[in-house]
Amino acid sequence: MQIDFHYYATYCAAFLAGYSHEECLAICYSAQFTDCCTRTLLSTIGGPSEAATTQLQLEMMDARTDLLGLQDITRIWASFHFLPRDLKADPEKGSRIYKAKYRLICGPNGDLLVKTVNLAKDKSLQAAGIAMHVLADTWAHQYFAGTPSQVINNTDYWFFELLPAEASGDSQTSRDSEASGNSKRAFTERRITFRHNPTGKDDLDKGIYTSTVYQLEENSVMSLGHGRAGHLPDYSFMRYKYLPAWGKYEEVIKDNPSDYYKAFCQMVYALRYLRGDHESFEADRYDTEKVSPYDAKIKEILEKRQLDACADWKAFGEQLSGCGIPDFNANLYCAEYKQAPTDDKDDTFLGGYIDAALAQKTMVTHQIYQSDNLLAGYSVEYSESRFLGIRDFIHYIEHKRKKEKA
Amino acid sequence: MSKFQRVQNIVIGLSMLISAAVLILFPEGGCLYIMLFLAVSLILRGISELIYYFTMARYMVGGKLILFIGAVFFDFGIFTLSLSDESKLFVLAYLLGFHAFAGLVNVLRALEAKRYKSTSWRLNMAQGVASILTVVIFMIFSRNEILLVYCYCAGMIYSAALRIYSAFRRTAVVYIQ
Repeated sequence: MQIDFHYYATYCAAFLAGYSHEECLAICYSAQFTDCCTRTLLSTIGGPSEAATTQLQLEMMDARTDLLGLQDITRIWASFHFLPRDLKADPEKGSRIYKAKYRLICGPNGDLLVKTVNLAKDKSLQAAGIAMHVLADTWAHQYFAGTPSQVINNTDYWFFELLPAEASGDSQTSRDSEASGNSKRAFTERRITFRHNPTGKDDLDKGIYTSTVYQLEENSVMSLGHGRAGHLPDYSFMRYKYLPAWGKYEEVIKDNPSDYYKAFCQMVYALRYLRGDHESFEADRYDTEKVSPYDAKIKEILEKRQLDACADWKAFGEQLSGCGIPDFNANLYCAEYKQAPTDDKDDTFLGGYIDAALAQKTMVTHQIYQSDNLLAGYSVEYSESRFLGIRDFIHYIEHKRKKEKA
Repeated sequence: MSKFQRVQNIVIGLSMLISAAVLILFPEGGCLYIMLFLAVSLILRGISELIYYFTMARYMVGGKLILFIGAVFFDFGIFTLSLSDESKLFVLAYLLGFHAFAGLVNVLRALEAKRYKSTSWRLNMAQGVASILTVVIFMIFSRNEILLVYCYCAGMIYSAALRIYSAFRRTAVVYIQ
């Protein structure tokens, strides 16, 4: 997903869930900041590098793909962008390492999603924002894993866009098909052309999209997440079918408008739970009641063929709340954090964000480790008498204890 | 990283350092040994691709490609072994190809890094320029076998140092409460 959904649509969902305009801004800012909080940014403000929630292309190119490098990459991408659906999934066949990678495939409504939302309960608005980013991405990024893996994330030439009949234009093939959730609608297929120029813009009219280049190495960063499928999972209007590398030659149909709508309704439900409107958060529940008055408008935005839906979501959000939504600025809170005295950094906006990011990363890493899977690294019970490992996490634990005592 | 992997990296790194030292001390006829080393590397690469196929890639859509690649690497390694008479030419071609490609990639990465205003662009650019200069030196002194051996050894020492450094990297441990 992109800024249009993580920032503006999250604002709309928060407002529908009952948050005030200011609270909505804090939540949607945190949701979008998850796509900006890189080690490079953290180093410029003096923040802990382990709180990174994403990586720049440049950082990815410099990342080592030995075991430690892979664990670092997996901790970031599986925790925030490709939350595993089922850590106990059994692909029946395959070596131990193959099964470990298979179990990191992202998808909605898994146990880890429930744990993610519960982790944000009674915490900061920043924690709620991070949880909404993770939740939304489970829908957009499903079928891909947040670890570099050719055998899981690779795609091949069998990749077709499903165009609603009226928008198909001069498609190369013209077979009627049915995308899931749109059983009565006719679609035509158009083979997708992938190119590998990172500066090239996706061409919606010609069906030419940018993806990462194929690499033979199993652990190449080019095979991280949905890189091989380009930005297709990130566009709300997109419907496509392809053969996922792990899918045993069974075709998968991805219906983004339907998935994004569910993501939106689930965000409203989750945010209402975080506000205290529900006793518990359950998987596979959606707040369609709150959303239904705006169904037509939301579906119109989701279906519109455009690379960036910011303007539409922004207008909808401003119509909902009657307040202006400022454009996203990744550096908005950087000066505050940088200038705060060391002891007060945790009380700044970014201090709260960093605390929530470390909590999420710790939780997901621990769950993956507990499932007998070392792809995200080791996780041990903290013991004050002995120091091992990453100092940033010690700071998080100490901060947590201090808050509990207070 | 497991203890076994650490020990494995240290052993391989030290073996590469010793091999490089021996070649530097006795460079005459070194091209033949380099070619043997390359042949063994290709054969091992072929075997590792085959293992990758049978443990993982066979379950992947289009995974048969890995099987073919493994077979080709293995076959090419065996073929290289049979080229002992042409060892100098082969080593020269390998070094030229390797450094030209590495130089190009480093320069491109430096340009991208500069666009992101990262300070690492100078290092990448320096590495790229060094690689391209190496290619030029090879082309000028292509008849000098000893120079070829020294350049190959320099690359081997660099790889060995990276392996040993990697073996001593701290294992990341995440704390939970």
